[in-house]
Amino acid sequence: MEFTLLAAALLGIAMALAVLRLERVRGVTDRRDLLDLVIGAAVVGLAAGRVAAMILQGTNPLTHPLDLFFIRGGVDAGFASLGSLVFLAWMTRHDFWPTLDLIAPAALSGLAGWHAGCVFRASCAGTVSTLPWAFHDGTVARHPVELYAALLLLGGAAVLVIWGRRLPLGVMASLALTIAAVVRLATEPLRLGLGSSPLPWYGVGAVVGTVGVMIRVISARSRNITDS
Amino acid sequence: MRYTLVFGLLISLLVAGCAPSTTASSDPLPTINPDDFTTLLNTSDVPVVVNIWASWCGPCRSEAPLLREAAETYGSQIRFIGVDVNDTQNGAAAFIAQYGLRLEQYFDPRSSISTALRSTGVPHTLFFAPGGELRFAQHGIIDERTLAVQIDDLLR
Repeated sequence: MEFTLLAAALLGIAMALAVLRLERVRGVTDRRDLLDLVIGAAVVGLAAGRVAAMILQGTNPLTHPLDLFFIRGGVDAGFASLGSLVFLAWMTRHDFWPTLDLIAPAALSGLAGWHAGCVFRASCAGTVSTLPWAFHDGTVARHPVELYAALLLLGGAAVLVIWGRRLPLGVMASLALTIAAVVRLATEPLRLGLGSSPLPWYGVGAVVGTVGVMIRVISARSRNITDS
Repeated sequence: MRYTLVFGLLISLLVAGCAPSTTASSDPLPTINPDDFTTLLNTSDVPVVVNIWASWCGPCRSEAPLLREAAETYGSQIRFIGVDVNDTQNGAAAFIAQYGLRLEQYFDPRSSISTALRSTGVPHTLFFAPGGELRFAQHGIIDERTLAVQIDDLLR
């Protein structure tokens, strides 16, 4: 049922909300529209990814508009990410890097919640495993690959929350993009699929995030040298 | 700028909407009675994946490309069967042509096969081991990961 996906989405948003709340408690910001930004980016990303998937699968969004809501039928990860990033870039254009830095751990936590939502959908299983924590989902024991991804993303979010504010402006956001892409790249070999895995998109995400980190660090250092 | 974005989105949707429509095949789908269908499952020496669908069903449209891909990849090891329920032959033919679902298909206008399989709605995808043992049943739309894992289970 699609309600299981709704539960996964709610879990993701709840985690993002919790991280934003934590940041606010720690006095980082008093912005009230951050949650709107997170939810807006999630909705725009889902819509963009779903429309792209429908067109690529051969279903016309104009003749079958309600199919937009069958999220489980496929969401194109690349177009979904692009949709979210374009939305965020546009909405935060006057205060770009500080806002993105603030959202970064929340976005990673939200993604972790989305992956952990596999528990509701009974679709956590990956390749066959003999490890003690592998679980039986049919005839053989399998890696709970989506839970691995959730834990890694959550760990990345925790690292950013704890140490992120020591980093130059913009590094946290770029690092979050790198972490999200690398987690998918690292866990992808443990997933089973029918060949539609968007590995090139994750590769691009990892490269763009790393280049972003380098640019922001170099620019912060050169600014420090100029100031001193 | 906001209007430009909305206009761009509308143009994109219109371009997508103008894609050429597919033509329906004129060959009607064969019918099969529930007893014969059960015999077919019980005597199969390869695993069988049965997908119960209808052309008017939205989730069926979403999962159709996945099933086509799975059938193309694993068709030599697994028997893929589609059962079109509560439908018309024209609707079925148009759906099959649009999504290229060249599976073994049966027409079940009175849902007698789906009733025999205890199916309560569409889509419904059932995974049978050789000999007809039901291994897994997915009520509602199936996603790529679940389909891949269940196929992998059937082939072990």
